Amino acid sequence: MNLVLEFLTNIRRFVLAQNGDELRNWLKVENTIPNIDVYRNLGQALKSNFPANSDALEKLVDKCLPEEDDVQDGKGSPWPGFNSFIKEFLEYWRDVDFKDIVKVHSRLSDLLISCANALANPAYGNMLLQTSISLSESLSKLVIGLTRRPQLLSQIQGDMTGDEGGEKKSIVELAADIIQKIFTSCLTDRSSTRWQPPKGKKVAIYLFANLTLKLLFACEKSRLAVQMFTNLSTQGPALSLYPASQRVTFLYYLGRFNFDYDHYFRAHMCFEEAYRQCPPQFQKHRRKILTYWIPANLLMGRFPSRSLLARPEAAGFSDIFVPICGAVRSGNFVAFHQALARSGEWLWKRGLYLTFLYRLKQLVWRSFIRRTFLLTWQGSVDESSNKAASLSLDDLVTTASYVQKLLEGYVPAQPAPKTRPPHINTIFLKPVANAEGEADSLLVPPPGGPRRLMPSAGLIYGNKKPTLENIEPIVASLVYAGLMNGFIARTQKKFAVEGAKRKGGNAVLAGWPSPYEAIMERFKEGLDEAKDAFESGESTEDPGDMNDVPGWVRGP
Amino acid sequence: MASSTTTAKKDDKAPAQQAAPAEQQQPTQKAALEEDDEFEDFPVDDWPAEETEAAATKDSTTHLWEESWDDDDTTDDFSNQLREELKKVEASKKR
Repeated sequence: MNLVLEFLTNIRRFVLAQNGDELRNWLKVENTIPNIDVYRNLGQALKSNFPANSDALEKLVDKCLPEEDDVQDGKGSPWPGFNSFIKEFLEYWRDVDFKDIVKVHSRLSDLLISCANALANPAYGNMLLQTSISLSESLSKLVIGLTRRPQLLSQIQGDMTGDEGGEKKSIVELAADIIQKIFTSCLTDRSSTRWQPPKGKKVAIYLFANLTLKLLFACEKSRLAVQMFTNLSTQGPALSLYPASQRVTFLYYLGRFNFDYDHYFRAHMCFEEAYRQCPPQFQKHRRKILTYWIPANLLMGRFPSRSLLARPEAAGFSDIFVPICGAVRSGNFVAFHQALARSGEWLWKRGLYLTFLYRLKQLVWRSFIRRTFLLTWQGSVDESSNKAASLSLDDLVTTASYVQKLLEGYVPAQPAPKTRPPHINTIFLKPVANAEGEADSLLVPPPGGPRRLMPSAGLIYGNKKPTLENIEPIVASLVYAGLMNGFIARTQKKFAVEGAKRKGGNAVLAGWPSPYEAIMERFKEGLDEAKDAFESGESTEDPGDMNDVPGWVRGP
Repeated sequence: MASSTTTAKKDDKAPAQQAAPAEQQQPTQKAALEEDDEFEDFPVDDWPAEETEAAATKDSTTHLWEESWDDDDTTDDFSNQLREELKKVEASKKR
């Protein structure tokens, strides 16, 4: 009993002094704190004297934490919301059983809600800011841990279905909702304007934003961050007014969010700024930024330079990215799949594998078609000729069919040391050599038949053979994306290059412009279209400028 | 557990409650979490702009990317294979 009184007496002292730091230090909830025995003893004292079915605890809290009548400037007073929170805090320690993680989750969620309610008090709520951060961190860590333990997770989810009946939210959503409630309370604080150094609860806006983002990304629920970014865009204070650690963390997550939604240029801008503002001594952080910044640029048609890959924070990245870049550069699909498979585990874990597999394929196609053109185009676009440089689509079907066969495990029909891929075992060459002369290809099916390919592992779709009908749309999509410059002459079954004369007769340069420039050009065009739609009233969403990233508040 | 690698910032930040039954976790799960390095809290809250690359030069990150990477060399193994295949198919059409 004495321990409970002592605890409440000290809490009152901190409240009167508006000492948020000490409140945070005392209002701990984790079982690994150094002075855990004190809290265990407190729990025992509460258990002995304040059973769950009595209102004795509530009465004691109100008696020990009376509202002050005459509060001087700079001093504080308990308020009803605070007392409710303290009562719940004491009940938490009375009832907690750290072996029953499901119950801990439920009680901690309730406690944080209670803390958020108390924080909302306009007169004294601010003193609970540090405690709110600390409890949010604790809940966030607990939820991240739980999502990695499916058995416990399903137990909690099952309980929630029973309680709520209809709408079912995941524990990640529920925790994010609570933390976002505090975030909103900070966002709507009127102590300072958007463009002034933050005061009051506003100081913690990006702390709570980052906590929410950390939780959502750890649980792969980044889509739930949309509303928060929208709220920041409309009323959030400038990011530049906040400490560097918060800025860099926020930009990292905003970059990840844009990356997840295929906005690679926006992702690039966030990562670039996060990286630039992160000093070299924070190598781990810079490495995490690079982990996504390099892929964002790859998907925009830019490769990491040697000097970037030589930086200490990029150690080992060469082994992952250089083979992928090499395959994109050469248009070699076999090498592309091999490069992805080689770093498959690393890429999967970071959510990059499928993005690369589907999104980079377009750049591999571009290089592959370009290579076929280099091998087949004999003419020159000189001053006297009006004949456009062109690529026969039949030739493209031939080269594509060859690559599809390689993917299916076909082997050379005759020993061809110069062209034989190194991975082909010569043991198979003898029997298939008999087929020489019958085939219209250098390759013949492997013994046992062609390999069955997954849809994504084939050039077109699994084992589907490349034909004029399925190659033409690929060329058309590259032209539409601006990655190839020209048109398809269907009757002649050709892709005709445009603008060669403007490039000094260089048909390759004209037909295959720089991927990065082409991608950026398309991005600008898309933005212009969206702007026109907004200005004409067709759309209600202002796309903003080229350098705008929704959620990143830069200035008035 | 990921938090074991987290650097404490403001106070004696300790691992979360799940630390209690953590020993029950499978080793494979544990290893996976160690690898799954989240974006850690920074050990300091703020630092002067002069310490960053942003201050060094406005354009400090432009040399980090390679925009012109097209390969015009057609003497490599892959190009030779494609060239031979084109010849072979062309020849078979004429037969």
